[in-house]
Amino acid sequence: MRRGLRFENVAVAGIGMVPFGMLHDDPMMHLARDAGLFALHDAGMTLADVDEGFVGYIGLTSMTGIKAMKELGLTGLPVTHIENASATGLVAFREAAWAVSSGRADVAMALCFDKFTDNARRGGRGGGRDEIDAPILPASYFALWAQRRMHERGTTPAQFAAIAAKNWNYGAACPWSHRRPDHEVTVEEVLASRMVAEPLTSMMCCPADDGAACVILAREDLVRARQPGRRVVRPLASSLTSETYARGHTFVGPVVGPATMTSDTAAECYEAAGVGPEDVDVAYCHDAFVNEELMYYELLGFCAEGDAEKLVEEGQTGPGGRIPFNTDGGLVARGHPGGPTGLAQVHESVLQLRGEADGRQVEGARLALAHLVGGGSICTVNLLEAVS
Amino acid sequence: MARVPIEEGYFRIPDDTGEPPRLLGSKCPACGEVFFPRRLVCAQCLHEGCDDVELSTRGRLWTWTYCHVPLFGAKDADVPGYGVGQVDLPEGPRVQSILSATADELEIGMELEIDLETLRENRDGDEVVIYRFRPVGAPSAGAA
Repeated sequence: MRRGLRFENVAVAGIGMVPFGMLHDDPMMHLARDAGLFALHDAGMTLADVDEGFVGYIGLTSMTGIKAMKELGLTGLPVTHIENASATGLVAFREAAWAVSSGRADVAMALCFDKFTDNARRGGRGGGRDEIDAPILPASYFALWAQRRMHERGTTPAQFAAIAAKNWNYGAACPWSHRRPDHEVTVEEVLASRMVAEPLTSMMCCPADDGAACVILAREDLVRARQPGRRVVRPLASSLTSETYARGHTFVGPVVGPATMTSDTAAECYEAAGVGPEDVDVAYCHDAFVNEELMYYELLGFCAEGDAEKLVEEGQTGPGGRIPFNTDGGLVARGHPGGPTGLAQVHESVLQLRGEADGRQVEGARLALAHLVGGGSICTVNLLEAVS
Repeated sequence: MARVPIEEGYFRIPDDTGEPPRLLGSKCPACGEVFFPRRLVCAQCLHEGCDDVELSTRGRLWTWTYCHVPLFGAKDADVPGYGVGQVDLPEGPRVQSILSATADELEIGMELEIDLETLRENRDGDEVVIYRFRPVGAPSAGAA
């Protein structure tokens, strides 16, 4: 029977990432190396301390992960490549946490990197309009979901725009965010930006980024010994699912996947952790297109079905709200390079739980949730907690 | 001039050019669920061995969008936008497809019918065609 994982005796030893963006001049390997070194420095370790590595990316060729790891050293450690589309980073994190929790490793590293701007420069994706399994622009298939929501619940483009404005403004305060506006972004500004796929305007869509991020997990006693006095953050539980068949499933073409995938995955994770959505202080979700974030308020259990618009209107998912979402700007502002995106969520979760998220700190945050979908076909939900 | 599908196994092209194409689906003999495209193993009950069926030529629009920026990262691409939709066929499958319609012609729940669009001519001089959905009664895009 499928269940969420509850982790034991594993904590976050170190986190590191490079600011996401269109980093044309930075070689991919240097981005990966720098993210890895930042995490090792944060952990007080070198690669010699790491027992196992998990590397992830979407848009690069086979075995590129080994090349990246070699930038940090050649110690003979086992390395496994992980690819789960947009959810790659969180799944690498889950595997590293599991490797330590299972007792097979004392220290495990998740390192992810990608260069989406190379794909964009080649003019890929979207040119496949005239193919059966058309790789249409991702904004299109998420817009299909937005249109359906508007039809069923009367959601307005302004409500989607309010989520976008919130995330852009959160991004302004996050040093690792691609989009750091120099002014307060308004609903009007979001609505006035270029229409991509109705009702989604360009400011409601994530950028295609370059980036790298790394998280090191270790036995909790080792983490305490290496970084005494620092607040310990540990992964609490994780779940990972793929689609379940239901009438209306679309098999041909890129799709969002069934909405129940997120609610089922969240339920498994909450159950494994022995907590509920009411216990979560800060959340991260796949807001590649902001209508998704609205849906995930409900599907992750933060409000009843049909109440997500109310949550937006009341500002409950922004600064000072009941459940702040995507405090680093989310995919929309902080950016979405693919592989490393999930590790950026963990990076921000750990900063929040350590109390080190300057300018965007959720006061007293003890429990963080990180959710991603990948290719519309898999979903992962992960919980991290601050240990007193 | 013959018409050939852009990819085999998804739809049948009728000999009569006035007839709409037929999507090729599968029906599970055990539980009765119908799928597009064809598959061997039933996605609902896991029975092995589905029967070949042809699907209806009309369906209802479940949701749609109109994409104004067709190319990923190519901001100045000189290409037109296009409609995308999901169409519920009476047998059950929900089919995602490019729509031959402008944004103001589209409404959730409306009836659409399948049509063929000619994409290009291949080296043998055959017309390469793909299926699209369009509002019932709208002019066919086929005679390109």
